[in-house]
Amino acid sequence: MGKLSGKKLILLGERDGVASPAMEACFAGSGAEVVFSATACFV
Amino acid sequence: MDLQNQQRILDAAQKYGAENVIVLLGSADAEGAGLYAETVTAGDPTYAGPLAGVSLGLPVYHVFDEVIKAEADKGAWEEQISMMEMVLDTQKLAGSVADMRDQHSKSKL
Repeated sequence: MGKLSGKKLILLGERDGVASPAMEACFAGSGAEVVFSATACFV
Repeated sequence: MDLQNQQRILDAAQKYGAENVIVLLGSADAEGAGLYAETVTAGDPTYAGPLAGVSLGLPVYHVFDEVIKAEADKGAWEEQISMMEMVLDTQKLAGSVADMRDQHSKSKL
């Protein structure tokens, strides 16, 4: 079982860095639940 | 960090318990990553939002932190994140967040 299993994830992405949907895709199978996800854009 | 996001984070921490929540950052610059990390651990440094004076102490990591990368789906990482991993200073980003985590987080992975 992974370290994220059972955890609630808050994903704060950035458009010029790593966006939240990319993180969601990477941790979808980790056993953690995404409870809030946002991507900032500073342009 | 904008005020709506601060409120959503505060709500999630109260609903699920700070010890059950993990914050992952995808910031492109170390200074911004540090400010985000400070906001979800020590409180809003600008004293403008709902987290002003609220020290949630959430465990916060940059997505490039090796501990977090190790938990990611390898294929999805390659497809979605590896490009940015090549162009950004991953050690500096992860280190900036780790500094705040070491000072202010109440729990870690």
